[in-house]
Amino acid sequence: MEAVLSVEDLWKSYATRPGGPRRQALSGLGFSVPRNSVVGLLGPNGAGKTTTLKCVMGLARPDSGSIRIFGRDGGAVEARRKVGFLPEQPYFDLYLTPRKLLLYYGRLAGMEASAARPRISYLLNLVGMEDEADITMDKFSKGMLQRIGLAQALLAEPELLILDEPSSGLDPLGKLQVRDMLKSLSSGGTTILLSSHQLSEIEEICDRVIIIHKGREVASGALAELLEEEGECEVLLGKPVPESMATIPPTASWAEGGEGKRLLVPRDDLNAALASLLEAGASIAEVRSRRLSLEEFFVRRIGKQGWEVEG
Amino acid sequence: MNAVSAFAWSVLQDALHRKVFYAILAFSVLLMLLIPMLPSASVGVQVDLLREAALGLTSIMAFLLAVILASTIIPAELGRRTIYNTLSRPVRRWQYYLGKYIGIMVVVAFALFVSLAVLLVMVGAKFGVFNPGLAKAVFTIFLEATVLAAVAMLASVRFSPLVCVLFTGLFYVVCHVKGDFLYRAMTDSGNHALLRGVSGFLYYLLPNLERMNINETVAHSERVFRVGAGELALLAAIALIFSCIFLYLGAWLFERRDL
Ligand SMILES: Nc1ncnc2c1ncn2[C@@H]1O[C@H](COP(=O)(O)OP(=O)(O)O)[C@@H](O)[C@H]1O
Ligand SMILES: [Mg+2]
Repeated sequence: MEAVLSVEDLWKSYATRPGGPRRQALSGLGFSVPRNSVVGLLGPNGAGKTTTLKCVMGLARPDSGSIRIFGRDGGAVEARRKVGFLPEQPYFDLYLTPRKLLLYYGRLAGMEASAARPRISYLLNLVGMEDEADITMDKFSKGMLQRIGLAQALLAEPELLILDEPSSGLDPLGKLQVRDMLKSLSSGGTTILLSSHQLSEIEEICDRVIIIHKGREVASGALAELLEEEGECEVLLGKPVPESMATIPPTASWAEGGEGKRLLVPRDDLNAALASLLEAGASIAEVRSRRLSLEEFFVRRIGKQGWEVEG
Repeated sequence: MNAVSAFAWSVLQDALHRKVFYAILAFSVLLMLLIPMLPSASVGVQVDLLREAALGLTSIMAFLLAVILASTIIPAELGRRTIYNTLSRPVRRWQYYLGKYIGIMVVVAFALFVSLAVLLVMVGAKFGVFNPGLAKAVFTIFLEATVLAAVAMLASVRFSPLVCVLFTGLFYVVCHVKGDFLYRAMTDSGNHALLRGVSGFLYYLLPNLERMNINETVAHSERVFRVGAGELALLAAIALIFSCIFLYLGAWLFERRDL
């Protein structure tokens, strides 16, 4: 499949203070976004998601590596013409009205006012801000600014949409609306790359995810496969067995809230675990295959501390 | 060119929504209107004094406005993250940089225009004279403001607004004393060689901004010197060359900066 965006061996460090030691934000990150796909960039806070997207948009300069958008060098102005970008926590000059703001951005994108006006009305309608189109933004909530941010990203009818934490600041209904909007854009042919530290918002819409931590790829691929691969089995016991009595295999663990009746066992160790449970006199009611939640996947791969401290 | 003008327009919008713009403009007009109340020696020099004080005020206003706007625009846009919404579009960074600078100069020109109008009306009403020559002094104030804004904006690519204002203030002072003070420091053989070297370096590097200050000459109706079109053209050329140098350096640095 043709890649709309390809990133190879991207390195980026920041000076902690002028002239001071440098801190590595990206260490050889590489991935590609095939046309018409929805790709999620996933990682805890500080993993390097925003830095990656800024490099792609030409807002930060990587130390080394290559970025190609639609086959062009990422630094080229032309490469950005068909790209829409939503920055993390977007902010605007609040004395403007959404309509005036979008007209200004339209001019920057080289759009004629006559072409921009109907497009702007359509987009404000799409993000549910048609009633606020002509009032200044100084009274807007974070969620409303996020919607304006989405509208500005879609302004020039982008073929590639790059969104940094698109659902942050939105209420549950707003998150649902964003998800539906992205789904319909995707089915309309738009390629989407979005970042998130919230696993639930990526799970439903992404064809592929790239999981990063400390500027490196931890895993990538189709989400379902990734989760299946690391999957485990859940063993339901007939009656509660006190933890102290059962000699459970070291890899197994009691499921939280299972009242001593549910054990989690890695797929590979299932037979050994069952054998030792039976030997200890436990009665097994059911064994089922269980897909990892994304949170659990993270904890497995980068460790509990890595996730909780930074995430 | 469309992007440049859009960025310039955004500065105008921004200034018209900022209190500091109105505060500086209103304060200087108010002070100007208060000048005639100052006690003065004789009626003969009154009009000269009035003109000189008013032109001085106009200079301060224009320089403050130019330097404050140029020092704050980039740091403020970085701080509020609004810059990501504009520079992620198919525009070049130099277009942003140049557009913002042109916008600043349009705002300063507008403020100078208001100031000149007040000054002409005031001189006319009080002394019954129409003084179009004052426009020459206002023009050279504008020229100096173009240089100061370019310096402040160059500093603002790297430094905080306060540092930029202080740096530009230092630049202003050195460029005003260079014809006199730096020249003597450079030529006085009694000085340490290092001091002479640094003075000489700065003397040849920096523009002579004192030459752009024709307030006194114009205030005294150019009785001693006449400021002809040739001199004005020369000053404009000097301002243009130095502004372009600082703008080029600033845009070059800005191009390479992480946002
Ligand atoms: N402008 C900056 N200056 C210095 N360090 C930065 C800057 N931006 C990001 N970093 C550092 O780079 C790392 C990655 O940050 P970021 O890309 O924002 O992560 P994420 O978006 O995944 O939360 C962090 O350690 C962060 O502290
Ligand atoms: Mg981020």
